[in-house]
Amino acid sequence: MREVVVVGVGSTVFGKFPERRPDELGAEAVRRAMDDAGAEPEDIQFAYSANLYGGMVIGQAILRECRITNLEITNVENACAGGATAFRKAWYDIGSGLYDIGLAVGVESITTSSIVGKLIPPAKGDLAGELGMNMVGRWAMAQRRYMEENGVSLQQIAKVAVKNRRNGCLNPYSQYQKEYTIDEVVNSRMICDPITLLQCCPNSDGGAAAILCSADLAPKFKRKPVKVIASVVKSGDYLYRSRSIGFSEMTARSVKEAYEMAGLGPEDIDVCELHDPFSYTELAHYEELGFAKPGEGVRLIEEGVTQIGGKLPVNPSGGLESKGHPVSATGVAQIAELVWQLRGEAGKRQAGNPKVGLAHVLGGEVTELESGACSIHILGR
Amino acid sequence: MKLQIPIREGLFKDIDGEATLIGSKCKSCGAIFFPPKNFCLNCSSKEIEPFFLGGKGVLYSFTIVHMPAEHYEAPYAIGWIQFPIGVLVFAQIKNWEQTELKIGMGMKLVIGKLWEEEEREVIGYFFYPEEDNSSQSNLKES
Repeated sequence: MREVVVVGVGSTVFGKFPERRPDELGAEAVRRAMDDAGAEPEDIQFAYSANLYGGMVIGQAILRECRITNLEITNVENACAGGATAFRKAWYDIGSGLYDIGLAVGVESITTSSIVGKLIPPAKGDLAGELGMNMVGRWAMAQRRYMEENGVSLQQIAKVAVKNRRNGCLNPYSQYQKEYTIDEVVNSRMICDPITLLQCCPNSDGGAAAILCSADLAPKFKRKPVKVIASVVKSGDYLYRSRSIGFSEMTARSVKEAYEMAGLGPEDIDVCELHDPFSYTELAHYEELGFAKPGEGVRLIEEGVTQIGGKLPVNPSGGLESKGHPVSATGVAQIAELVWQLRGEAGKRQAGNPKVGLAHVLGGEVTELESGACSIHILGR
Repeated sequence: MKLQIPIREGLFKDIDGEATLIGSKCKSCGAIFFPPKNFCLNCSSKEIEPFFLGGKGVLYSFTIVHMPAEHYEAPYAIGWIQFPIGVLVFAQIKNWEQTELKIGMGMKLVIGKLWEEEEREVIGYFFYPEEDNSSQSNLKES
């Protein structure tokens, strides 16, 4: 595999935009990424587009709005990991030598989808779904287990929400720009006990895009390239093999591969965007990603290690909780945030002077499996 | 009386008034699964036999869902119940309002109506906290 770099990223502001079509949101993200790179439509040889709820061939509709036609476009779906999957496939197609320049875009319009305002159920015909399972409930049960096994309190978990929502205030792309106290998080409306509203990511619309090329072509573009030094996408294993429903085995396995690919370890990560659809998951992911020992994730939030200004800022963008979670856009949006962080362009939320960043996302509820997909990307400059 | 149909065939049974879930056991490696599999997820063997998990387990984790689902009004309780053999089973918990649900508490399997449609009732399985003794009212043949 040859070296692949990111030469441009772009994102819409995340929020609730029921009046905007998904392809418009995606196109805005692509045009911003193209402008960022200084790329022309003719430069783009192929594209991957991730979307879950928008209907057929949305990638073609997005790129129609960008004057990018007559090329190989692949539409992908991997639930919340869809955007990361699109990015990985673009990385692979260039790394393998098939193409030289391409793009990955992820877009979602939840407010115009069939699931707006609902608890996301598993796919139709799923037994657990018919028995009453939903995405928040699944993680609420994992959270209860995590709290029990590790002696972690709801007040401690709420500190993650407080941190990420504070970070969101510094991010112009963030859906929410409002600070909350621990008490406000704990006492907000109960969704699936012990998960309250302010421990959850919101319904969001938005798009994000990245332009990738082979390292030798990077000088063609105006921005300093950011290297893709590891890329992993992995499906979930049977849940019965997990040590606990509160521990993401697939995250631990995926990141192990990613560290091996990068020749790095968790101690080398300077900034991280991770999957925090619920506050507690961030604490568990600290452990699975190797940032903390098993059961000690809560120490990182207690000691301020993961806040902006700490040793390892996590979710400086505000994370899914504050920035928002337009499902298939999230994986690409994490890449965009890391690129901005690594270039030192993250403005008020700039997390020091990072050299290496890690993105992590989990997607999809499937009966009997831990989850649908996990993706890890490590970027460096 | 409406037509009663099981949510899935072959998942549960009433044996002399005692409800049991029906899993599968691999004759080769002994692995037990619920819902049952026609081949072993552990070793790929196709030598499978039914395995009755029984009707008692302990609460592994749970949540009270405060938003409605397609077939259920809010609030309702769901949980993972661990059977003595180690298998985790996901199901609803009923009669939870009178009890403080706690990880580790005993749970009893009940076969009964999950939801009603125009012309039929969908029958499935759920659990009661074991301390509750009103669990006989809803027992039915599956």
